[in-house]
Amino acid sequence: MRKASFIMAMLALFSGLAFAGELEYFQVYKPQAGMSADEIMQIEYFVKYTKFAHDVKMGGKAYFIDKAGSVREKETARLRITLGRKSDDIAYEDLVMFTSPQVRGLATLTWTYMDPKRQQDSWLWVPSLKKIRKISNANSDDSFMGSDFTVEDILTRRFEDETYTLLREENFRGYNCEFDKKTYYKDTPCVVIEAKPKKSPWYYSKRVLWVDKNTGGGIYEEMYDPNAKMFKTLFKSFEIFNVNGKEYPAQIMLEGKDLRTGHRTVILNTDIKFDQGLSEELFTERALMQSRW
Amino acid sequence: MKKLVLLLLLCLLTGLAYADDSFQFNGYIKNELGLRTGDQNYLQKNKDIVQLAGQYNIKEDELVFFAKVKYYYDFAYIKDKLGKAAHYMEHIQRAEWLRDLYLDYNKSPWFLRLGKQQVAWGQADGITVLDRVNPPDLREYWLPDMVDIRIPLWMFNINYAPKLNSNLQLLVIPDFVESQGAPIGSPFTFRAYKIFDNTMKQYATSLWDINQHFPGRRLNHATYGLQWSDRIADTDYTLNFLYGPYSTARNTTTYIPGVPTPAGSFIVARDYKLWRVYGGSFNKTFTNPGPMQGFTLRGDFAWYNDEPTYFGDPNTGKTYGFARWDNKFWLIGMDKYIVTKWLLSFQYAQYIMEHRLEENNSFASYQQIPMNGYTYGAQDPVENIFAIKISTDFLNQRIKPELSWSFTDDAQGKVSPKLSYEINDNLLFTLGWHYFYGKDTESNGQFSHQSQVYTQLKYSF
Repeated sequence: MRKASFIMAMLALFSGLAFAGELEYFQVYKPQAGMSADEIMQIEYFVKYTKFAHDVKMGGKAYFIDKAGSVREKETARLRITLGRKSDDIAYEDLVMFTSPQVRGLATLTWTYMDPKRQQDSWLWVPSLKKIRKISNANSDDSFMGSDFTVEDILTRRFEDETYTLLREENFRGYNCEFDKKTYYKDTPCVVIEAKPKKSPWYYSKRVLWVDKNTGGGIYEEMYDPNAKMFKTLFKSFEIFNVNGKEYPAQIMLEGKDLRTGHRTVILNTDIKFDQGLSEELFTERALMQSRW
Repeated sequence: MKKLVLLLLLCLLTGLAYADDSFQFNGYIKNELGLRTGDQNYLQKNKDIVQLAGQYNIKEDELVFFAKVKYYYDFAYIKDKLGKAAHYMEHIQRAEWLRDLYLDYNKSPWFLRLGKQQVAWGQADGITVLDRVNPPDLREYWLPDMVDIRIPLWMFNINYAPKLNSNLQLLVIPDFVESQGAPIGSPFTFRAYKIFDNTMKQYATSLWDINQHFPGRRLNHATYGLQWSDRIADTDYTLNFLYGPYSTARNTTTYIPGVPTPAGSFIVARDYKLWRVYGGSFNKTFTNPGPMQGFTLRGDFAWYNDEPTYFGDPNTGKTYGFARWDNKFWLIGMDKYIVTKWLLSFQYAQYIMEHRLEENNSFASYQQIPMNGYTYGAQDPVENIFAIKISTDFLNQRIKPELSWSFTDDAQGKVSPKLSYEINDNLLFTLGWHYFYGKDTESNGQFSHQSQVYTQLKYSF
């Protein structure tokens, strides 16, 4: 018993040390009572970018729904490997392959660096050229693949880009998803955090996030424009995957609504598989070059 | 018959695709209309295209079979206006219908692709500095996508990765197909072809003996390519070497006088000379904070050893022979998102000819001017080429406008605005315009009467 208490105390100490700086890769963290807004947001980003897992493989469907109800659909297959490697500064690498008829074969490879000030490196396989093109990163406030999410909503926003204030703890009122007409996370204990961008002026003045205490995932957020008017809501549902005795929270569905245009985007992640032993060779230009479509 | 068998095979694969995850297929049906906007309006193109591609994973990702076929028919060529070129343009050539047929073997560190395919080298967009492995099909000039311009070849494509993010590629290409140009009577017939055709008509009473000498099926006439790709710091680079027959034949014409004059014989030898390309490419995105952050810089360099180049008198459009010079071609490109979602690309290229007059020959110096292979116009010793592209999107990427403008320092070029609209998940509509300007003796200028408004309607499945 004494030994167990000692181990618990050591774990708590290491946990505290981890929060003093960067979180350690390949660990699962959950919000704890008494944590600051910064500590909770570090976990939120950790969950968002699946830094707890060595790799992840998933399919994806994106639905673009306009105000009149017209729906367009895009399908993708995604791979990610987490490296957290200081020697070459690479945090993780992503490969997104489009499988919808119109854009079949289009694929992007992205390397994200540990240095928060450093932009990502991206390569694009262009089927109409049969060539790899190194691409200039789109601006962070650009739409991500034509969706209602911005590039930084999905890929580039980092913990260091904002300042955080813990507003309150409360049970979430529930989210009525327009896509499947279900209500999600009703009465789920959450921490409500206000995030303000360090960039000014920027396309939003603040985000208000509801972070699920059980998973550390940001389940809902409201975005406000520079005039303090809410212009966008983003919802994410999570599911826990048991992988080798660890509990991995994974994003299952994302719904983004632009309140100005009435346009919505729903992204469904399917067939999620963690820690499959993906090789880093899949995340190279040579692998992109092997594209057949 | 072979075509039919392959098409049936692909249809079978398509059917099986529904039943088994090992099979995947994709394809499209497309209509392309082109309306000439010059002094006479007529349909330059009314082309219906069907493309079907299928993939079968024989052993997961380790052994994969892939095939792609394309069939088209251009209804514009049944009209009188283009009737003369009909046979040639309707003909489904070997180069056209079978786009890909290969077997992939992928087991680290090896990757082999064996069969008919295309290989693209270099970082240039639409300018073929290093992209010289496959010959171009220029029957519609450089207007189609590069994937449709390159003529696929049968080859061994062998890759070995000695370390992560590097690759050594060896190409052995026993196949040879010459590059294609539009025939006489087509909208995009090169001026050089017209001049040669007029000469033949002028001397119609003479015998024209055209001897085309294709490269022999020998190892020393095969094409060999070597590419080393690697990364230093955060800059990707390649080193390239290509050796083989030049994709366009060069004519040598000898006149044997006959009696009575002008009867006689013109002996035309069409030879495909061997040449070498030494070169390299690089690209780098500036990721660290600073004034260059967000810029992508890319470039190609090639030294063409023994490139066959015509010389002659551009004023009369008459060639007197060809020289084999060592020419250089380099390009630098930059890409950057400016403002929100507006992508600006800029390319600058320089083609530098050796421009060495032949020694000990009987031609006057004005008859030894280097000539553009497409137009027989005078070729500048240093040709400066510029290309600008601006693109963006609206309505959640449903509408995509793009403007591209390519030009040289000879006041000639091509401006191509276009607008794509995604009608639904499978249907894409494109409206565009190709506007050519410049003198007849310039590459783009020769088509200044062939400017074209076009539409494309593509159904993908």
